[in-house]
Amino acid sequence: MELVLDHVTKRFRDKTAAEDICLKLTPGVWGLLGANGAGKTTLMRIIAGILPPTSGDVLYGGVPIGKLGEQYRNIFGYLPQEFGYDREFTVEDYLTYTAALKGLPEQQGRRRIRELLEQVSLSDVRKKKIEKLSGGMRRRVGIAQALLNDPEVLILDEPTGGLDPGERVRFRNLLSEFAQNRIVLISTHIVSDVEYIAACHAVIKNGKLLATGTTEELVRLVDSKVWSCAIPAEDVPKYEGRLSIVSLRNESGGGVSIRYLAENASITGSVSAVPRLEDLYLWLFPQNSGENERRNQAIC
Amino acid sequence: MLILRLELKRMLKARLTRVLLPLALLLSLLMAYLPVTFCYTSYTDPAGNEVQLTGLASAAYEKEQQAGASGSVTPERVRQAVETYQACLREYGVTESYDLPEGVYERDILPIAPLLHGVKEAFADPDTGMAPAIMEISPAEIDGYYAVCEARLASLMALEQPDSPAARRIAAEMYRQVTKPFTVYPGMSSTVMDYQNIMGFLVLLFCVVIAAPVFSSGYQSGADSILRCTRHGRACLGAAKAAAALLVSGAAFAICAAVYILASNSLFGWECAETSIQMVYSIVTLADMDVGQLQVLFAAAGLLSVLASVSFTLFLSSRCRSTAASLAAALIFSIAPAVISMTVPGPLSAWLCSILPAGGTSIQSSFLYALTDFRFLTAGSLAVWTPWAIIGFSAIEIPLFSLLSVRSYRRHTAG
Repeated sequence: MELVLDHVTKRFRDKTAAEDICLKLTPGVWGLLGANGAGKTTLMRIIAGILPPTSGDVLYGGVPIGKLGEQYRNIFGYLPQEFGYDREFTVEDYLTYTAALKGLPEQQGRRRIRELLEQVSLSDVRKKKIEKLSGGMRRRVGIAQALLNDPEVLILDEPTGGLDPGERVRFRNLLSEFAQNRIVLISTHIVSDVEYIAACHAVIKNGKLLATGTTEELVRLVDSKVWSCAIPAEDVPKYEGRLSIVSLRNESGGGVSIRYLAENASITGSVSAVPRLEDLYLWLFPQNSGENERRNQAIC
Repeated sequence: MLILRLELKRMLKARLTRVLLPLALLLSLLMAYLPVTFCYTSYTDPAGNEVQLTGLASAAYEKEQQAGASGSVTPERVRQAVETYQACLREYGVTESYDLPEGVYERDILPIAPLLHGVKEAFADPDTGMAPAIMEISPAEIDGYYAVCEARLASLMALEQPDSPAARRIAAEMYRQVTKPFTVYPGMSSTVMDYQNIMGFLVLLFCVVIAAPVFSSGYQSGADSILRCTRHGRACLGAAKAAAALLVSGAAFAICAAVYILASNSLFGWECAETSIQMVYSIVTLADMDVGQLQVLFAAAGLLSVLASVSFTLFLSSRCRSTAASLAAALIFSIAPAVISMTVPGPLSAWLCSILPAGGTSIQSSFLYALTDFRFLTAGSLAVWTPWAIIGFSAIEIPLFSLLSVRSYRRHTAG
């Protein structure tokens, strides 16, 4: 079972949102990392079959998804970035409606809805209108609908937006459990959401695939580029302008521990730190545009 | 079936539907009652007091007064009515009934007035179409009343359709088929039918408002992106949405029309429905039916028109990315026949009003007015009477636009 993006390109009138993307997704959780506007949503819509690529194809089991049609949609689950729903729906009505569209027989659908509502802790609000729920609860309704048909391919676009830390942890656990023998692709710019559950990642920037690999493989790209050191608190503004600071932590005694990204140690006393996925993300998507260009070229 | 059931449930639970459908039912009852409020009679009672009656009391008084006129409209009865009329006016030395002394009209003319309907029109000048005064009509000529009517139709059609022999031939043939002598049961005027028309138009607007967001709201809210990724989320869902909108609209219109007909006939009397439409509209109206049949046929044509409009609205909805755009476009097309009938001249207006889906229930231009008129759609040697054209176009448009909307929905791609 594999989902292949074969030279997928999507051009809009004045923008190329995806450019010649080749990617082979195998069972497991995949993280699709990229800044806002990188082309993640476009790519996910193409995989979902709701946006046709300008060129290239998406193949499942070697067959273009357009040809598979209903067969593909039968094993597919999708949560878009903006979870849209009919304003009149209650949670239960919405899931019943979606279950019917996913081809679940009525009894089975009811059972599955009950299970999922338990799993996403929405049983108590099943009779409530979705629009009356909090953002986090609505997001959970979206997650539940995507899981209704036990999909073999699950695509989640920014699924954790609006979830509180506790809900995030529950979501990660739910997904880890679910992902056995399934392809799960999660797009996010919140790296911690996928760092621990995604076996592999694809990094996308300006519509181009910059890198793919396991967390270990990818963080190797920033090996010996992550540094940590302690500086006096009054020096923080000075270094903030010059360095890509990943984190700051106040220490007792007026000092500050910083973690920063640089080709070489830029502050005396810096020691090389063990890189994490977030470091790679910030290395690839720095705020400084000149730095941005230079680092991209280095990766490519 | 499960998807259709759930889609119906979704649509019926929508706030808009829950407000508009009961409102449509209430309006049907109100529209049925409104013609009653126009009934007004004043007369002087035997004690010399002026009595003014309104509403149902007035309708009942007139029916009682005109009960003797009920029945078959034979040439003999028309001749007697004309003779009575002429004798009465001669006796008082006037040429028009409104110049009669107080109380005389109510006593002598009102009871025979239903039989006088159409007499002046039947004897209209064949060249100018000008109707004579009843005083100018020779009672002897009324013996061949229905032959006079046929001749009148021929002269009318020569004025209306000078370039279409086919239209003139069809009209003459249709009128020959009309059951004669006509029948009259006084009490119901054409206002009742006008209000059925208004009721139909309002229900059509409500149905269009309900149907306009069917596809476009999903596009706008993003709900569509999820649904079209499901197994049955494309053609099947599109068909279920279209079917649900058509079922809800069709049922709403059918119920409202039935309620209207039941209410108005109950108010004015069921026997009135047996009156030949020639005794309510033009004496040379082409259709062979009574008022009751006209009510039902108009309701059926209205139903087709509503379904065609909803079908077309669904198509617009499947093409528009926002609810506001689909609603605006649908409403424009719904009122278009009324605007066209007032602004576009001649045959083009007849064609457009017949083709547009709302043409069957529009204000000013509807199946009712087409059926009581003499307009034909002509193309070369072909001629089709506009009411049949309206029904024909609606019957084509319902499946056509439904299929196009499902196709368009299936092919829709996220922006």
